[in-house]
Amino acid sequence: MKLDPRTKLFMVFVVSLVAMMSATTPLLWGIRLTITIIPIILLVTEKKYASALRFFLAYAIAFVLAFYFLSEKSEGIISSLLIGYCGIVVQFMPAMITAWYVIRTTKIGEFMSCMQKMHIPDGIAVSLAVVMRFFPTIREEYSSINDAMRMRGVMLGGGNVLRMFEFRMIPLLFSCVNIGEELSAAAITRGLGGDTKRSSVIELKLGFADYLLMTFLTAATVIFVMYKYFL
Amino acid sequence: MDNKSKKLKAKDFITVGIFAAILFAVEFAFGMLGYIHPFIVASYVIILPLASGIPMMLFYTKVEKFGMITIVSILMAIIMFVGGMGYLGAPLIILSGLAADFIAKSGNYKSSKKTVLSFGVFNLWICANYFPILVTAESYRQDLIDGGYSAEYVNNLFAAINVKTIGILVVLCFVFGCIGAVIGKAVVKKHFEKAGIV
Repeated sequence: MKLDPRTKLFMVFVVSLVAMMSATTPLLWGIRLTITIIPIILLVTEKKYASALRFFLAYAIAFVLAFYFLSEKSEGIISSLLIGYCGIVVQFMPAMITAWYVIRTTKIGEFMSCMQKMHIPDGIAVSLAVVMRFFPTIREEYSSINDAMRMRGVMLGGGNVLRMFEFRMIPLLFSCVNIGEELSAAAITRGLGGDTKRSSVIELKLGFADYLLMTFLTAATVIFVMYKYFL
Repeated sequence: MDNKSKKLKAKDFITVGIFAAILFAVEFAFGMLGYIHPFIVASYVIILPLASGIPMMLFYTKVEKFGMITIVSILMAIIMFVGGMGYLGAPLIILSGLAADFIAKSGNYKSSKKTVLSFGVFNLWICANYFPILVTAESYRQDLIDGGYSAEYVNNLFAAINVKTIGILVVLCFVFGCIGAVIGKAVVKKHFEKAGIV
């Protein structure tokens, strides 16, 4: 199933909105769980089984832990640590899963053409596209730098914390700046920043699935807000 | 490319995107610590400016036109919203970015005094994230407890961040922003100017 990027962005918006409001009653939890399940199902339809399973398990475990074993009365360092991590997972995981899904399944070309259709200023669209593309890069670069540092015996932990920070931050910045140069060269080659309106190879069209999902998400949000604040 | 033109070009947007991503990565790495103890959440005003000083100072050396710092703050607002921080702080984040941009512009993006000041103001975006805690204190408190945080955590959080302490936090944020800028400038000078990247 191929979703329109606009639907995906809408989904990100809705999920973050719902994630912000806390669920108090079983109905609200139900809506929240449904909204969390949707991106996981979408991940499965995109054949990303491993990550779908990983997200599902992480969320389920945190959910069960937070719900059945810990309450607001629990004190002490271990339970507060646990609660912290379960809380964060339950709270932010839905938004994270959705964001991950969108980043992984949206091609930059699609994203740009979708931004153009929504009349988002070029500046924001380009910067956002770069941010999206860049997170995985930062992680990769960081882990290779980390490996290199470890090979030379510069470990995290023991020794001077500031130096550890410096030894990782500086190489990371170096490679990010270099990648940025290459990226701008590539972008300019493809006509970004020209004066004429850019055309796109990808024709975006909202399909049946898009309308269905958007309606469903809107309805879920409206019900959530209604029941939380007005009933 | 014509560097003198005042209009932002594709290259500038890419620079903005990259540094916004780095800034967020730094924020995210330290943000995770906040779940250990609420006092760490309050001490973001010290940790984050110091940690983000280096990348941001490198960014400032690449800023030559009005708007770049503002766009970083807009991106941060968007990311914070998607990350579930709420929409209340978003206008404040953008506002602090805009103010920082004006300050840096008044120094023509070259004056180091203005850069330090501008980064101090820019860091107020961290305080903007405390905004929901202040404005919607009661419902936010209930939200957190319902959301599965322990009462102990929530109490400590509200002891650390409330209407009385926010003034101190804002001042600390600004001061450490300036300190972070000075350190960042030194590091940039030590590493990047020598290598000829700046």
